[in-house]
Amino acid sequence: MNTKTLMYIVKRIFLAIVTIWVVITVTFFVMHAVPGGPFIGEKAVSESVMAAMEAKYGLDKPLGVQYLTYLGDVVTKFDFGPSLKQKGRTVNAIIFDGMKTSAKLGLIAALIALVSGVILGSAAALRRNRLIDRIIMIITTAFVSMPSFIMGSLLLIAFAINLKWFPANGASKNGLVLPVLTLSLYPMAYITRLTRSSMLEVLGQDYIRTAKAKGVSGVKIIFGHALKNSLIPVITYFGPMLAGIVTGSLVVEQIFAVPGIGRAFVNSITGRDYPLIMGTTIVLATLIVIMNLIGDIMYKVVDPRITLE
Amino acid sequence: MKKKLVSLVLASCMVLSLAACGNSATTEAPASTDTQATEAAPADTAADTQAEAPAAEPVGEQTINVCLASEPASLDPALNSAVDGATLINHLFSGLAKWGLDASGNLELQPDCAEELVEGVTNDDGTVTYTYTLRDGLTWSDGQPVTAGDFVFAWNRAIAPETAADYGYMFEVVDGYEDGTLNVKAIDDKTLEVTLANTVAYWDELLAFPTYMPVREDVVANEAWATDPSTYVCNGAYTMTSWDHNSLITITKNDNFYDADKVTMNEINFYLSDDANNQLANFENGDWQMIDDVPTNEIASLKEKYPDEFVTAGQLGTYYVCWNVNEEILPASNTLTGADKVNAENEVRNALALLIDRNYIVNDVAQGGQVPASSFVAMGLTDADGSQFYQNAGGNSFTGYYDVTEDAYESNWESALETLKKYYTFDDATQQFTDFPTLTYLYNTSEGHKAIAEAIQATFAGIGITMNLENQEWATFLDTRKAGNYSIARNGWLGDYNDPISFLDMWTTQSGNNDVQFGKGDNANVKAYSLDITDLGYDTKVENGTWAETYDVIISDIKTCTDTKTRYELMHRAEDLLMSTGCICPIYYYTDLYMISSNVSGFFSSPLGYKYFMYCTITG
Repeated sequence: MNTKTLMYIVKRIFLAIVTIWVVITVTFFVMHAVPGGPFIGEKAVSESVMAAMEAKYGLDKPLGVQYLTYLGDVVTKFDFGPSLKQKGRTVNAIIFDGMKTSAKLGLIAALIALVSGVILGSAAALRRNRLIDRIIMIITTAFVSMPSFIMGSLLLIAFAINLKWFPANGASKNGLVLPVLTLSLYPMAYITRLTRSSMLEVLGQDYIRTAKAKGVSGVKIIFGHALKNSLIPVITYFGPMLAGIVTGSLVVEQIFAVPGIGRAFVNSITGRDYPLIMGTTIVLATLIVIMNLIGDIMYKVVDPRITLE
Repeated sequence: MKKKLVSLVLASCMVLSLAACGNSATTEAPASTDTQATEAAPADTAADTQAEAPAAEPVGEQTINVCLASEPASLDPALNSAVDGATLINHLFSGLAKWGLDASGNLELQPDCAEELVEGVTNDDGTVTYTYTLRDGLTWSDGQPVTAGDFVFAWNRAIAPETAADYGYMFEVVDGYEDGTLNVKAIDDKTLEVTLANTVAYWDELLAFPTYMPVREDVVANEAWATDPSTYVCNGAYTMTSWDHNSLITITKNDNFYDADKVTMNEINFYLSDDANNQLANFENGDWQMIDDVPTNEIASLKEKYPDEFVTAGQLGTYYVCWNVNEEILPASNTLTGADKVNAENEVRNALALLIDRNYIVNDVAQGGQVPASSFVAMGLTDADGSQFYQNAGGNSFTGYYDVTEDAYESNWESALETLKKYYTFDDATQQFTDFPTLTYLYNTSEGHKAIAEAIQATFAGIGITMNLENQEWATFLDTRKAGNYSIARNGWLGDYNDPISFLDMWTTQSGNNDVQFGKGDNANVKAYSLDITDLGYDTKVENGTWAETYDVIISDIKTCTDTKTRYELMHRAEDLLMSTGCICPIYYYTDLYMISSNVSGFFSSPLGYKYFMYCTITG
């Protein structure tokens, strides 16, 4: 790695920190500007209870003071504070629990999507316009255009209710099979299509023709030259995709009752659980920023001609 | 299969749309997740006892899988304010009293930690003292003895401002509540003495309320005690064995419980999901034996498909529409002022309430077995003589303040039109009012509330009244409604206990639940309300007084009244005054819908949604 690349990475990390700080600041003030509050419910609590709760969680202080205190706790202690709704639990614990499930789910789904997507995409490209290509294209078109709530519901009806092969809730044994499948189908289909088109482009390049003319074996051409070069768009896609699915999918979590971070995030907003809103936002934003950064660095690894600046 | 598939797909679309509006429970009965209530089963609705299963031997070790809702906000008895949390606490804790079934299967209050539910002794100053003796051998789940002092501590903790308990006010009947220290003493380890400010008809019921459960000082000193099984020390029929947050809570029979011999269910798995479609999927594939929520749009087909499993139970709550009392609704040309104007507005609102076809809303829109409402105090609350309070309301030949039978709708419509014609210009050619101001109806974002809003909108549009619909996300909606920044809004209320006062004291001027804004803003100086209770032995006779001079007075009279019959009559009068304003327009009485496998026996629930699994057995 040369200094130019190193400088680039340092610059990117600095920018990432600034981005996250902006996210924190904007979220903090917008969140407090939205009407409603964490302690308001269908039944009113007495004013003394309301005051006691606000004092307990520091919500009675001026907003600027709250902001600085919060920023201080996050930066110096990685402490996201207590949840206002799930009494007695800390935001750190809630995020840790949620991320554990979401990350497991997301990583397995991403791996399945990547491996099967690349294999299917390559197969389709190498057998272009043949039956197998047609079948793969039809299936992937269906998967790409089908939203996850439909896919999830279909899988649920087929495998959980009718065939009873897998449970319909994430808490039971093998409960994560269907959610993983639901999560992986869309990126798998997308990667298949990306791989196919980019491999087709690569296969038409001069250097492949040269290799063929030199009598290099088909296997070596594909794995040594074509595949590697056709993966660049896949890498571009993979980083943000990974960030997207490990940070939880509300829809999949709802359909299969999976205790992931997505549900915590949405519920925190509807419940005005300020510390949890902040905590989940920061974690999700950080993950996305990091994944994008890694994606960019990976370009360089795959294609040394790309200069990072 | 095809139909089911389509409906599931559609239902999933709703999941997405609901993502924006919070947990699904808010769509059906908002109060049900955020609030809870004690209850007593009126004699005729009794308990919803699962039909006796055919005699068969229980199969193996008994475990039941159930799903009530998502992660409970708190399982600390003082901090819990949700129905699902109350069900868990009822299994984990044991208070002085509990709900159980009598020999004939009706719900009744039974002594729990107390040896018996004693009668109170009235003191010279009007306060009432109860002395309870605790059973022998009561222990906490860690083996330490349960003492009277634990109750004293727990009750005072629940009202302490630093505890910030939503339900601290459940102790307001106890002497000393206002001063911050309850008049409750541990005479010795086994004797508890508590003094109430005056006679309270529903005192035994309060003793069974989760907020009244004991907790131990050293246990709750750890603020996170109620979030982890290792620190969760309880004294009930079960102990918590695991809590996989947002996923599953497992509780196991407590062999040290004094009544353990009667507990038949060995282990209960409370799965945590707030998605009605997911709950249904798990019920249909046999994994879960009981689910407490069903997808609204599937109710009709589920009733048909599962006649034995689908249960519609009574609930002490009312779905209603409320008006902002300060909203101008008379035509621009109106010249009435003062009390005349207010009376005209009351008349108009009550006329509009008559136009609403509650049977259509219940049967074709909500479809959950709800009952058309004719009063604000809900069905299921009992009157002084044990009959239904709502059936005695209004003093009419029919039940309640409106005749909500299907047959009466036409005549209701006619009389409403007649009233409205007094104040608005009616064009006979088009059969429309031409000068009715445009109204705006506010509801929280949800398909269910929207459908009801649209039904009302269509009804009004038929006679030329334009009503725009506006929806807001849940927390914003609550804020707007409380602040009175609306003209008409949907609303719902579940009582805290089987006493009409839990529906009536919320409308006093200073109440935090006074969404109508009675006695606030312009209404503070409006002198148009009348109250005469001299025939009941009170000296209050007000003609054209303010809300504070009338309604607030009668509510405080009710709270200090010691004669049951008079007290109930006062509550009827209070509701009469409330309903005369037309600001409360009841739509239907809530029902509690759930599904339970037909091979589960011994299950019962209460009208406010508490479920009891401890005496269940699974057969076949």
